[in-house]
Amino acid sequence: MNLTVATTRQDHRIAWLTALAITIHIAESALPSPLPGIKPGLANVVTIVALIQYGWGTAAWVALLRVLIGSLLIGTFLSPTFLLSLAGALASIAALRIASWLPGRGFGPVGYSLLAALAHMAAQFFTAYWVFIPHAGLFHLLPVLMTAALIFGVTSGMITQLALQRLRAAEVSAL
Amino acid sequence: MLPPVSRKIACMAALACSVFLGACGRDPQPIHQEQILVFGTLVDITLWDADKTKAQQATAAVIHTLNELHHRWHAWEPGPLTEINARLARGETVRLAPDQIEVIRGAQELSRKSGDLFNPAIGGLIALWGFHADDRPSNVPPPAPGEIQKWVARRPTMDDLHFDGDKLRSANPALQLDFGAYVKSYGVDRAIDELRRHGVSNAIINAGGDLRAIGRKGDHPWRIGIRDPRGPGILASVEIQCDESVFTSGDYERFFMYQGKRYHHIIDPRSGYPPDGAMSATVIYPGGGVGGGASTALMVAGPKDWLAVVRGMHLQQAMLVAADRKVYLTPALAARIHFEVDPPPAVIIAQP
Amino acid sequence: MMTRADWIVLILTVALLPSLYMRYWGDEGPATSVRISASGQPDITLPLTGNRRFTVHGPLGDSVIEIRDGRVRFVSSPCRGQQCVHSGWLARAGELAACLPNGIMVSVLGRDRRYDSINF
Repeated sequence: MNLTVATTRQDHRIAWLTALAITIHIAESALPSPLPGIKPGLANVVTIVALIQYGWGTAAWVALLRVLIGSLLIGTFLSPTFLLSLAGALASIAALRIASWLPGRGFGPVGYSLLAALAHMAAQFFTAYWVFIPHAGLFHLLPVLMTAALIFGVTSGMITQLALQRLRAAEVSAL
Repeated sequence: MLPPVSRKIACMAALACSVFLGACGRDPQPIHQEQILVFGTLVDITLWDADKTKAQQATAAVIHTLNELHHRWHAWEPGPLTEINARLARGETVRLAPDQIEVIRGAQELSRKSGDLFNPAIGGLIALWGFHADDRPSNVPPPAPGEIQKWVARRPTMDDLHFDGDKLRSANPALQLDFGAYVKSYGVDRAIDELRRHGVSNAIINAGGDLRAIGRKGDHPWRIGIRDPRGPGILASVEIQCDESVFTSGDYERFFMYQGKRYHHIIDPRSGYPPDGAMSATVIYPGGGVGGGASTALMVAGPKDWLAVVRGMHLQQAMLVAADRKVYLTPALAARIHFEVDPPPAVIIAQP
Repeated sequence: MMTRADWIVLILTVALLPSLYMRYWGDEGPATSVRISASGQPDITLPLTGNRRFTVHGPLGDSVIEIRDGRVRFVSSPCRGQQCVHSGWLARAGELAACLPNGIMVSVLGRDRRYDSINF
């Protein structure tokens, strides 16, 4: 009896999107960052593109797999860093889910990206606070972290916007 | 863009502006605070209602004075004091400048009144313990008991110093001057003199925790917090005004740990060891002069002998925090001190 | 381009951010002491006077902290990111550096606003 795993088209999408996200994530992790948790989060562009093009389900998979596999590849699996990334990913997925319920035109790439970035950073901060360093002094870092989330969220949102425009132009020209 | 959006944007912008402006609306107090690294420590200068140029000039003068004093009375870096010590140890007669005479005579008198518990002649013993260095590492053991006993036997005291006009001679080659906290009070007093000379009459000079305050903070006295010897928080507070000094010596300022035991830099000249009866000692007194010598002597005396020091040095307001955390107070200080910890510590008011 | 919802979120965020700064960044003034917090151990508070180096033990290993000239910093730490070390010298009250993976936080404490000066 042959066991075959029938992969759907969605699986393929998730696979290559995740691969793309992981590549960006690993490249980014090689960069030094001034404060804990501040990273441009360019891999999030992939997540938002997935959200807008293929829906929340795909985006959620991409985000979670990226954290999981990324940490295995970098070697931080089950480390404090991993826990922080996971908390961030879960929070941003949840925020995107809720945001996607907005009726009408809803959010664009910039809006989604910003919300995801803010949720991601807030979750990372509070995880660090509750699990690792339960000290009021840590809040001194919060304004800086949220400002970074604002900047990087808007930036990656705009990059997503551009990426989507290119994708759509490519699709149109392929017709 | 879209008319309804632009109205929303204007509203949001107004909100953002009001948030920013709210931060600007706070009333500034005419208080000028500056912190400088000078005199071997962090010196905090607080000026009330002084005009800007006066404040700057006064502060510059204070920094200059403290820098000079730091060099002039440094106990181990090569300078005037190490020179005096070397020559006295060789049995030579040293000619002193008027300010040096003032300091040494003042310390002599204070030492006498404290029953030699404040003893600036034991510089050699302090060096033996390794405290004649910026950093005393923790993995180096304390000196051997034999070494310490040898030192104690030689018993250098301020009485071994003999003046002949402006010339000084020492009868004990083991004598080495290290004025410790006494130089701090002297420095703070000179700094206050400088401030007054520049027309400032309401200020606090705080040199690494020891302070003297003149005048008031506008309509109110100055509120001083006294730190808990074992915690980051404040143990007690007191309001001071007109011209008062608050000096504290503690076992937490300079110390090293060796095999779980704390050895701090205030050495008992009688035993040669740092005493462990008290965690900190505080004195409050009008004007200047007494400060560092008194708090040092109280630390050495500990809860058993502190009242003798209070009597001998004519201290009205003194506080001792013993190793068991009991707080000993003179009645005058008990009347004005306010404890900030909950529950308040066990207090023993002793009549000197 | 950007939708109405995008703009609202952006403007709200920008409007609320300053209040975060005001709340957690009040200038506490000059630095007087430093508090070292390590997970699972009681806090240590030290005055910022004198010069010394010491080691704090954490789950990943030993972090070395240095106090010099009224400032404090992480000298070395066993974490991957080294962000704690890269934070450099902390000199003002309220500043802090944290080695999250090793569970150690170094925060600079300043004057208590209730008092005009602190004696210690």
